[in-house]
Amino acid sequence: MKNYPIWKSFTVVSLVLLGIIFSIPSIIYDENSENWFLKNKINLGLDLQGGSYLLLEVQLNVLYKEELDNFVDSVRLISRDQAVKIEKIDIQENEVVVFFGNEEKIKDIRDTFFQMYRGVTLQINNNKLSIKLNDEYRKIIQDSAIKQSLEIVRKRIDESGTKEPLIQRSGKKRILLQLPGVKDPERIKDLLGKTAKLTFHIVDNENTSALQNNLAPFGKIIVPDMYDENTKYLLDKRAVVGGENLVDAKGSFDQTEGHAVSFRFDTEGAQKFGKVTTNNIGKNLAIVLDGVVITAPRINSAITGGSGIITGNFNAQDASDLAVLLRAGALPAPLEIVEERSVGAGLGADSIAAGQIAAIIGMVLVCVFMILIYGTFGALANVSLIVNLFIIISLLGTIGATLTLPGIAGIVLTIGMAVDANVLIFERIKEESLKQKKVFQIIKNGFDRAMSTILDANITTLIAAVLLFAFGSGPIRGFSITLSLGVIASMFTALMLTNFLVYMYLSFANKKELKL
Amino acid sequence: MFGLNKIIPVEPNINFLGLRRNFLIFSILAIFISIGLLSIKGLNLGIDFKGGTLIEVSTKNTSIGELREILSSSYSDVSLQEFGNENIILIRLQNKSNQESIETVNSVKNLIQDKVVEFRRSEFVGPTISSELLFRGFQAVSFALIAILIYIWLRFEWQFGFGAVVALTHDVLFTLGLLSILNVEFSLATIAAILTIAGYSINDTVVIFDRVRENLRKYKKLELVDLFNLSVNNTLSRTIMTSLTTLLALVSLFVFGGEVIRPFALTMIIGVIIGTYSSVFIAVPTLLIFKFRPQDEDD
Repeated sequence: MKNYPIWKSFTVVSLVLLGIIFSIPSIIYDENSENWFLKNKINLGLDLQGGSYLLLEVQLNVLYKEELDNFVDSVRLISRDQAVKIEKIDIQENEVVVFFGNEEKIKDIRDTFFQMYRGVTLQINNNKLSIKLNDEYRKIIQDSAIKQSLEIVRKRIDESGTKEPLIQRSGKKRILLQLPGVKDPERIKDLLGKTAKLTFHIVDNENTSALQNNLAPFGKIIVPDMYDENTKYLLDKRAVVGGENLVDAKGSFDQTEGHAVSFRFDTEGAQKFGKVTTNNIGKNLAIVLDGVVITAPRINSAITGGSGIITGNFNAQDASDLAVLLRAGALPAPLEIVEERSVGAGLGADSIAAGQIAAIIGMVLVCVFMILIYGTFGALANVSLIVNLFIIISLLGTIGATLTLPGIAGIVLTIGMAVDANVLIFERIKEESLKQKKVFQIIKNGFDRAMSTILDANITTLIAAVLLFAFGSGPIRGFSITLSLGVIASMFTALMLTNFLVYMYLSFANKKELKL
Repeated sequence: MFGLNKIIPVEPNINFLGLRRNFLIFSILAIFISIGLLSIKGLNLGIDFKGGTLIEVSTKNTSIGELREILSSSYSDVSLQEFGNENIILIRLQNKSNQESIETVNSVKNLIQDKVVEFRRSEFVGPTISSELLFRGFQAVSFALIAILIYIWLRFEWQFGFGAVVALTHDVLFTLGLLSILNVEFSLATIAAILTIAGYSINDTVVIFDRVRENLRKYKKLELVDLFNLSVNNTLSRTIMTSLTTLLALVSLFVFGGEVIRPFALTMIIGVIIGTYSSVFIAVPTLLIFKFRPQDEDD
């Protein structure tokens, strides 16, 4: 082995061995192994192992609207104190415009209002007061809504028994969910589709004309029944107690009432609930979930124990789902599903099988072609190519990358492109062999001259791959990862391994002249 | 030892640049037709970019016609397609709003429940997401072109960067034009394919440019046209070899890789052929626009 440094051989051989050893976990692929070594396997993406991907958007508009509604209530209260008549209130997308009967006290109203809400822009124009949400205020609402939503979504998913879910914020107002193994996300979607805002309100049975005219007086709201839209209730707008005071909820079964949800309040909730039920014996108490009345039982006696049950026309699943929602808490705003991709395990398995076949056949074709064209040197390049594949697999496994279907395509593509570096080297060697006779000098020049071309050519491919990673999403990222790793590995195998193999071959074969 | 590489001579002497006018006209025509096709016919956008619902089912004892009958009574804009074999059927629906499509998936599933062995996949992309994805895809391709331009500019003279980007733009437009004619579905994976083609084509171009640069230093007296010809000829066997091995792998992916990956493989095959062509016949002749000879200026 003329002129071939020991350290270099050592590096090459050990890197190759590492590549082969660390690809073992992914090749064996024991899904449930707890062995520290076998755990270093490739993660399969949802498109290969089956599962659901959901992208949810927090409906911030609902929150802004709620805030605007609060403004309206406050302005009404203030103007009542100041004895100013309000002529009209105009709620727009981002602002409330209040028209007053006269202009005299409008400044006072504005100042009082400004003491209550800081994050607003107030503008007076004759008898008009416009109240606008500031951008910063909107941002605060947005951030806290996302944070809260994430937490609630996480709790609900955990309660649903999904294994290894991935839940993360995505962009400004979205939440990304990956649920491996979930084939049919209907139940999850049901769980996430409800805001689950639970409130208790006293029912106003006296003001029957309001219900008939379908016009709620100030401080009251009209809410439909859950099961019958035509049945409506007139309720105090103020909730006596809400879901945030619940500490526990579970599905239960009662001989007379059927399936129900039993719940327990925290101390504060229990106190409030006790007080309200004590003061309102004989009235009805409506239990409102997401804007509909589930039930409105009569308060027969004070309930001071801090617990109760909610009955409705539930079946066992309804009751337990409602209990899950109540335990997890209410979402600050509804979530809308803006993207969903679910893959069954069958398709995933088919994709893996097809990918493997394509990779093997591609590999065989390329290897045969290389041997046909370059003979022994082609065979050496093939060894590099196979090692290249091991290195990609071992890198994917050790960095815990996710292999997707496009990722498999990236590997197959790499098989075709990885020989490029070898081809560049061999072509240079071919040229050099015309110029001189010294075998090892030919080889050395061939590798040296090909080096800069190989670097330039591969870096441009890497640029494309990195950008793909930066702008791509999900499966496409899988493609950019395998492509990048493939490009990097192919540079190593060509410049170091092929180089090593060629030197070894020439030393042992003791070639006096080189014809490629 | 087979050594079939002797088929391609080490120093071939083909006058590539002599034909440059013909190829230039061909390419310009192709680009105009592509742009025309893209603006008139457009691309066959998949749900990634158009939004909508897609459901893949495997069926038993039923025909695509039967399913179509069941579904078209409820949906006016449903389209069905066999996917790989006659038992696998792809159902596509166009939806207007997010809420609507969630319900659509469920009701479609209910309608055909008893004809179906397995719901292999269901995808829904809402209108906001699809336009975002399209924008981001466009962004990625543009940034890739710019980044590659900058890299080439740093590593070579700027004229090379210009030549490379002309060739790249040519490849992207030409490929898109062919996708439009062939009605290949345009999806996120296609964007990935286009970016990879960009990477591949530039890779090819860089190898030739590298040789041009080397030859510019080596043969100071040679006419530019001859020098470019020589460079293309020097690298010809590599260009052919690498394209062939890449195509072998891609054809294998196209044939055996499964139905889902097929549009990607097809796009790549088209792109690799066009990319190889453009490196030789577009990128190099573009350099002739610049009467550059850095060494001459130095002297």
